[in-house]
Amino acid sequence: MSNLFVRKATGMVRSWSVFDAFIYAFFSINLVTLGFYSFSQMYYFGGGLIPALIVSAVFIIFEVIVYASLIAVMPRAGGDYVWQTRIFGGSIGFILSITGWWFTLWLWTPIYGDMLRQIVLTPLLGVLGLKDLAVWFAGRGTALFVCSLLTLGFVSLVIMMGMKSYARIQKYSFYAGMLGLLIVLVLLFTGSPDAFRAGFERNSAAIFGTQSGLYDATATAGTDAGASTPLMGGSLALIFLTLPWLVFFNLWPNWGATLYGEVRGATDYKRNFTGMAWALVGVTILGILFFVGVARTIGWNFYMQANAAWWNYSWGYTDQVPPLPVWPNPAMLAVFLTDNRLIQIIVMLLMSFWWFGWAGTLFLSSTRVVFAAAFDRLLPEKVAELDERTGTPVNAMLLMVIPAVFVSLLYAYNIGGFISVTLAATQAIAIMYFGTAIAAIILPYKKKDLYEASPIAQMKVAGIPLITVAGVIFAAFLAFLLVEWFFDPWLNTDGVPPGLYGISLANTNSVIFLLATYGLAAAIYYGFKARRRTEGIDLDKVQAEIPVE
Amino acid sequence: MTKLFFATDIHGSDICWSKFLNAGKFYGADVLILGGDMTGKAVVPLIHQGGNNYRVTLLEQVFEVSGDDEVQDIVKKIRSRGYYPYVTNPDELLDLQNKPELVHEIFLAQVLKVVEQWMDLADKKLNGTGMKVYCCPGNDDMEEVDAVVRSSRHVIHAEGQVIPLDDHHEMIASGWSNRTPWNTHREEDEEQLAVRYETMISKLKDPHNAVFNVHVPPYKSGLDEAPELDKDLRPVLAGQSLQPVGSTALREAIRKNQPLLGLHGHIHEGRGATRIGKTLCINPGSMYEQGTLLGTIVKLGRNTIENYVLTTG
Repeated sequence: MSNLFVRKATGMVRSWSVFDAFIYAFFSINLVTLGFYSFSQMYYFGGGLIPALIVSAVFIIFEVIVYASLIAVMPRAGGDYVWQTRIFGGSIGFILSITGWWFTLWLWTPIYGDMLRQIVLTPLLGVLGLKDLAVWFAGRGTALFVCSLLTLGFVSLVIMMGMKSYARIQKYSFYAGMLGLLIVLVLLFTGSPDAFRAGFERNSAAIFGTQSGLYDATATAGTDAGASTPLMGGSLALIFLTLPWLVFFNLWPNWGATLYGEVRGATDYKRNFTGMAWALVGVTILGILFFVGVARTIGWNFYMQANAAWWNYSWGYTDQVPPLPVWPNPAMLAVFLTDNRLIQIIVMLLMSFWWFGWAGTLFLSSTRVVFAAAFDRLLPEKVAELDERTGTPVNAMLLMVIPAVFVSLLYAYNIGGFISVTLAATQAIAIMYFGTAIAAIILPYKKKDLYEASPIAQMKVAGIPLITVAGVIFAAFLAFLLVEWFFDPWLNTDGVPPGLYGISLANTNSVIFLLATYGLAAAIYYGFKARRRTEGIDLDKVQAEIPVE
Repeated sequence: MTKLFFATDIHGSDICWSKFLNAGKFYGADVLILGGDMTGKAVVPLIHQGGNNYRVTLLEQVFEVSGDDEVQDIVKKIRSRGYYPYVTNPDELLDLQNKPELVHEIFLAQVLKVVEQWMDLADKKLNGTGMKVYCCPGNDDMEEVDAVVRSSRHVIHAEGQVIPLDDHHEMIASGWSNRTPWNTHREEDEEQLAVRYETMISKLKDPHNAVFNVHVPPYKSGLDEAPELDKDLRPVLAGQSLQPVGSTALREAIRKNQPLLGLHGHIHEGRGATRIGKTLCINPGSMYEQGTLLGTIVKLGRNTIENYVLTTG
């Protein structure tokens, strides 16, 4: 559109920086928190992690197209909740989004807490010389619960602080975290297997009080625990089987999408797409570099064996504490290549920015969806109230924090085997994404006028709208993930849990958790709908389109 | 008691105006109130290419259209987003590049033409219905718009007025905002806004049962969160950084007088409802580009809001 014919009016802003958009998307597919954490748990697969990373990124690019397209057609709408309710109607949109963006985030709390201790506290306390405290934080039960509470405290602080301040913290964290990762990669690419082995023995003994022969003992414990995942290779089928675990790490480039502002043209679509796509590509390349660096110096087999030894204990398959009594954080293993304690402290501090710059948004989407539901009168007005003095959404925060404390308790103490439902945190969001993908597929047909007057109206593949094509591919990918998760055709030979992913229909905990969250969402929706009807408000009507003629 | 429907910031969208006029019947409301910013933000040239052929660039997509049907279709698309189509030729387009005053004239003519059409449509649709319709131009609306609204037989121009909604409730209205980075048509400093509000409030019989229909939302109400901009009007940190941009004078007026209801707009992303003391403040937001009329239905009781809901029509 010629600028000649655009007047000065409120909200007519210029385009945002693609690099900034890239940073937020990059942080959402967080290599160090989500990546290192999930790679280490994937020690028992047959497909190579490098090809799996590449294959998953190819599919997730279609997710990027879907979300960039939806934002271009329906800007300012605030995401999945509004898109789904606009295209499907109230009930489906509410139930999928409330579960995906609110209830499921309760489960993410102890997972974030676990990452806090493994990535930040344990290695930092260790290199600072606080051995006992470091090892305590790595332990089961109370340590994890305490870290979940610390996470909730940090997230609450961010909500009180507001996004204006936290967005800046995120940007500085990006630079600090990248510097840390760069040093880790340099160490991995300049070290040697012998130097690593010696450094590992020496530093582990000094920091965590491990016994001599740690390397061999760890390798043996890992082999016994079933470490098998290769770096490369594996049949296509085996590579695909790794994807339902791998997406725990990289299904989230859309979290960094810019939802605000007046979308003025196809350029804004391309900016959103480019920011997210480059983040996905960049993180994938960094992930590959990290894998190659690990294989070069730490040794791929040893890396997987150390992971297997740790998780076999952490998941409760053995009570025998592994020879290395803490999570084998790869950044920590890399800094063991030097004996300089100051360098170790600096690198681990820099690497902790990956957590602090990322974890603060744990409840950001939850707050948005809780508010949107309250404004639609599907929750009490009080949940969207802001504290008069601080502007903090205290009640909405409590609705997230209190259940999260309860879920953290179940998870930390593994009550009823609750720790096995880790992947359900990804599963429920993927179900919501599936709803959004279907909405994207039908958008050009169900909202024809809206689509045809949008900035993406001319983007077609063989005459079919690009958003539909991308939606079909992304939905098919999600359908594959959902089938694998639910039916887990690769359950143990006896057909008993945990299988490959731990959340199949055979896992009662997982089924109960999922049904409970969807049941709760449905109860809230239909309960409030009935209540509003008695108050004279027909919620179907307030969502219905007013006739134009 | 009165059941009102409020929508705002429809920015030239024909679809939203038609829906607004139909909303009274659709939702069973007694009163329709349109907040400010009725006018569109862009004129889209249909550049004549000879014969019956035109080139149109809409949302950075180039359309080559031929024949009346295709022209009508593209005009409909342009209008559906609230923009104004303008038939021109390459020579005129070139000439206009150095004559911003002529561009302004074209803009104003298009804006006034559409507002006139809207008032005609309102007079036609509302005739005999008894529906009360109030309209208060906002900071993005040129001053010339007021005269056109005032000429309507059924739409009441509400700026600066104290309007009785029923036996117990009065409404004050203003489309003026605090300063914006765009230096728009109706904006002033907070001190001047405070005087503007006080002038109206002082005429209210019962401020506690009043409706404050003020385009700008109160400061730090959550209804005024907008992306932070740099000096070049570029969202900083990719739009992740939000900041409150509402009026401090309005917040103080609400805090001090505690009216029953505040109706606001201005910040399209600020859809929501909140309380400042006992006052319920609502910004229904705007999705005018999508032809969706966001609004709110509020049932006013004596000394209380009996009920309210935000609508997506």
